[in-house]
Amino acid sequence: MELEAARLMAAGLCMGIGAIGSGIGEGIVGGKALEAMGRNPKMADKIFTNMIIAIALAESTAIYSLVIALIILFG
Amino acid sequence: MGEMPTISLPSSEFFMVGPFTITNSVITTLTVSLILIVLAFLIKRKAGVIPSRSQVIFESLLNFILDKMIMAFGSRERALKFFPLYFTIFLFLLIGNQFMLIPFAESIVTEDGVNLFRSPASDYSLPIVFTLFILILSHILALAIRPIKHIGSFIKIEQFFKIKSIKDLPMAFLDFFLGLLDIIGEFAKLASLSTRLFGNMFAGSIIVGIIASLTTFTQFLVPIPFIALGILSGVVQAFVFVMLGSLYISAPLNAVKPVEETN
Repeated sequence: MELEAARLMAAGLCMGIGAIGSGIGEGIVGGKALEAMGRNPKMADKIFTNMIIAIALAESTAIYSLVIALIILFG
Repeated sequence: MGEMPTISLPSSEFFMVGPFTITNSVITTLTVSLILIVLAFLIKRKAGVIPSRSQVIFESLLNFILDKMIMAFGSRERALKFFPLYFTIFLFLLIGNQFMLIPFAESIVTEDGVNLFRSPASDYSLPIVFTLFILILSHILALAIRPIKHIGSFIKIEQFFKIKSIKDLPMAFLDFFLGLLDIIGEFAKLASLSTRLFGNMFAGSIIVGIIASLTTFTQFLVPIPFIALGILSGVVQAFVFVMLGSLYISAPLNAVKPVEETN
């Protein structure tokens, strides 16, 4: 395999596999938060801000793989 | 397939001032600081008991962050001590992350084809400086208050002195190695907090660039949802950075000196 092809494939695989976990995690966070808001609409504001933080935390693994992929591609 | 935009991980250098290299993200950082200073003077000039419109926006923003910080620190006095630091970072990131929305800011190009402005957080040096500052400050404060206790939370040898029978020895060793793992955890904090901010802001600018360069037809309307997503993630990341940063200072502080002791 040529070096350039290997790099492109590595970047794609890195991003694709890395995003699986955070996708599942964000889905769980969002779903549970909506469930809680439906049960207790008075707490919706508090739950929403906490949900944003939790989503940003769950997103971080995807962001790491994105940074690695970008370093592979352009670094 | 159109021309791919030039994407560079490091920001482009323009000139040197003494030992400092002035890059395009440094120029943007200075511009954002200037905007903040001007905004501060404008709001302060009109401030009064009957609030003006800008003052209401500013005060509601201030109360929002202060409420979250009181939750993180556990007491109002302790939160107020650190509030200026975090609110400055928050305001800076809030304006800096949206800086490229200013019309024509992205189109200003020097003779060499290098953009004059670049979103400050999309250069890795800015997030890592903020994160390093917060983490080093947290350790210095914790060391200054109770040095032995703070070091003891990483090198846990106190369990060895509490051993009563030979059965306690494995638990003491486990505690010791968990403490060593916390040292690695400190470096993980540095990597995770800075990379989160950098990755989000860098990705936001790249995605719009790639979408716009795909074909001629995708240059006009198609990038709009991605720009909207970029605005949202810019605000959210500014908020998340400040919240996690305040947790990183409040956790070691509250560990070495619980809130109840101060009042």
